[in-house]
Amino acid sequence: MKGAWRAWPVTVRVAFATGAMMILLGLIASQQVLSTLSTLQNERLREVAQSHVDALSVALGPFVLHRDVWEVYDVLDRAQEASAGARILFTAVSDDRGRVLASTDPSRAPIDMEIESLFQDAASVRDVVAGTSGNIVRIREPLFIQGREVGAVLTELDVSDLVTQRRNTSLALLAANTLATLVLGLAGYLVVARLLEPVELLTRHMGALGGTPQPIPDRDIPKSDSALAQLLRKFNDMIGAIEARTEAERRLAERERFVSLGRLSSSLAHEINNPLGGLLNATDTLRTYPDRPEVVRDAGDILDRGLNHLRDVTQAILDENRRDRSDRPLGRADFDDLKLLFEPETKRQSQALDWHINGSDADFSAWPSAPIRQIALNLLLNASSAAGQGGNVGCVVGIDGDTICLTVTDGGPGLSQQAEDRLLSTTPLEPGGGVGLRLVRDLVAELGGEIAVARANAQTSISVRCTAREADA
Amino acid sequence: MKRRRFLKYFAVTGALGMPRLAGAAAPFRLGLTPVFLDNDAIVIDRLRSLVSAAMGEPVELIQRRTYQEITAMLLDGSVDAAWICGYPFLQHRERLALIGVPQWRGRPLYQSYLIARPDDPATGLGDFAGSTHAFSDPDSNSGYLVTASDLARAGRSVESFFGRTIFTYGHRNVVRSVAGGLTRSGSVDGYVWESLSQGEPDLTRNTRVVGKSEWMGFPPFAARSDRAGAPDVRRFEGFLKTLHESEAGRDVLGLLYLDRIVDGDVALFGSIAQRMADLTGQR
Repeated sequence: MKGAWRAWPVTVRVAFATGAMMILLGLIASQQVLSTLSTLQNERLREVAQSHVDALSVALGPFVLHRDVWEVYDVLDRAQEASAGARILFTAVSDDRGRVLASTDPSRAPIDMEIESLFQDAASVRDVVAGTSGNIVRIREPLFIQGREVGAVLTELDVSDLVTQRRNTSLALLAANTLATLVLGLAGYLVVARLLEPVELLTRHMGALGGTPQPIPDRDIPKSDSALAQLLRKFNDMIGAIEARTEAERRLAERERFVSLGRLSSSLAHEINNPLGGLLNATDTLRTYPDRPEVVRDAGDILDRGLNHLRDVTQAILDENRRDRSDRPLGRADFDDLKLLFEPETKRQSQALDWHINGSDADFSAWPSAPIRQIALNLLLNASSAAGQGGNVGCVVGIDGDTICLTVTDGGPGLSQQAEDRLLSTTPLEPGGGVGLRLVRDLVAELGGEIAVARANAQTSISVRCTAREADA
Repeated sequence: MKRRRFLKYFAVTGALGMPRLAGAAAPFRLGLTPVFLDNDAIVIDRLRSLVSAAMGEPVELIQRRTYQEITAMLLDGSVDAAWICGYPFLQHRERLALIGVPQWRGRPLYQSYLIARPDDPATGLGDFAGSTHAFSDPDSNSGYLVTASDLARAGRSVESFFGRTIFTYGHRNVVRSVAGGLTRSGSVDGYVWESLSQGEPDLTRNTRVVGKSEWMGFPPFAARSDRAGAPDVRRFEGFLKTLHESEAGRDVLGLLYLDRIVDGDVALFGSIAQRMADLTGQR
């Protein structure tokens, strides 16, 4: 039920809530009105009853005291005639023995009848309440003369008009409240529907059903400068910003591969340039000594080795940039490629490289090639950069059960706080810093692995542990 | 200055003018028993105007609740004359003089009626034993003496025969009492009942005449014997006897449903005297 209620459109819920509140308000207000009406009616009735009894006390007192039947009757009869059609229906007066002296209807209360038998349901004036027992209320009051009780008076008052008035008021209130509830409920629905139109619009475009947020067309945004219109425009701005950021991140990740290579470009240029001198010498030797078979053979060997080296280097670079290699399993060759690409950088900086790859192709095949290569290359470049000129860099890869462990060490000063944040957390990137470590973090996260940073014996160690892919586990 | 002049003027008029004014304004005081006029201020006022106009001098009509009070006022001179019942007239026969008897429907006679509700199955006084009964006045002939003496003749008393009796001090009230159901039966002046049946038929419609007495002397106008010769009383007596001769007088008589006022004869009240004797004999 609660879920169904929440599933209703907010406009309908507000209309229902408005209606419910109106009904509640109507009930409370009606109760108040009826209560006040009842109080007023009872007060009015008591006033009438009290004045009637008071008048009878004054007029009848001496006659009741003397038990003058005729005078009592005469007063009652004339009072009845004078108030013909009015509220007082019946009055009986008794003496101090409780015997009826006279009544307005002697056939009902004849002389000397015990008046007690008429007192059923009779209340005193101060307790009389209109309409609780039909259209007639019965009042019993003692008659006093100079403080002495000389008899009693019983009177019946017609309260049908009060009962009718109360009933009519109740019906009028019911009708008015129903009408007001309907009108205000409808009005509430319309007003709220109109007020919440932009919110509904916003909800729809925020992808309430699981879709991605969509910008709101300008034609749907209210022309006014209301807060809601501003909200919708801000929403569109935010959507634009999110899209721009997503695109930027996508491009950044795309470029990171080139960045890694870019950072290696000078080393790789040397790697290509160095054999070129030997190759050119070999071709020169071939031109000079074309008729000397042993020289031609040696020069051919030199050309062959140099060109093979160049082929390997270019192949490694091409592999690093090939897009469709994501599903290829990892192998020892990947680490050989990495070494081929990275080693020139260490040489350039006169760094000692400690390289240990422990495992066969079969051991490594449980992990994808591309992300592991990307992770290792970025960590190695970071280590080389940290180690500085003449420093040392280490790379150890091993298999521990179903987990591959990649540890890159360097003799640098250790990771700065910013670098550690980039590697270990999702805090926003500070401008100016590289994106390599953050890329490592994202790739490890995608593989479901863990990163650990340690510092011991002036060595910084970054370890990545990734369990085997589920498909291969 | 003005105050002094006013006081001087007031002293002169007070010393000379007031006795003369008072003497000229002294009205003739006529006492009325509550026959059927009780509680009817309009009738009383109209009667006063008509009588004053017919007499040519102011007449003060004096009413009291009971016959006894009016009779006492007549006897002590508080009223100059009074329209009383034959019963108190006979009670004070030695001190009162007849100055006229109304003639109703051709005769100076009337009856006492025993009345009940129209649906009451009673056919006579004997059927009302143990029930409630309304009398007019203990000094009324038709409104008490007749029924009381009838019971006395039957060897019963009012107290022992009826379960409860009340005095309403007015014949019209007796009719109201029976019509309203306060009492089962009532003793009422036949002239009053007949007059009410013409003037207020709605009232008498709720009553039925169960029994009628013999014809008896109509309630007479009386004055104290020692004042019967006084000029104002004689003038009033003359006025009564000639009432039917003037237009104003006929209006008075018409209001009271009477023919005229005739000379009175004590013999008219013989049956009342007999009833008095029967009642007294029982006691």
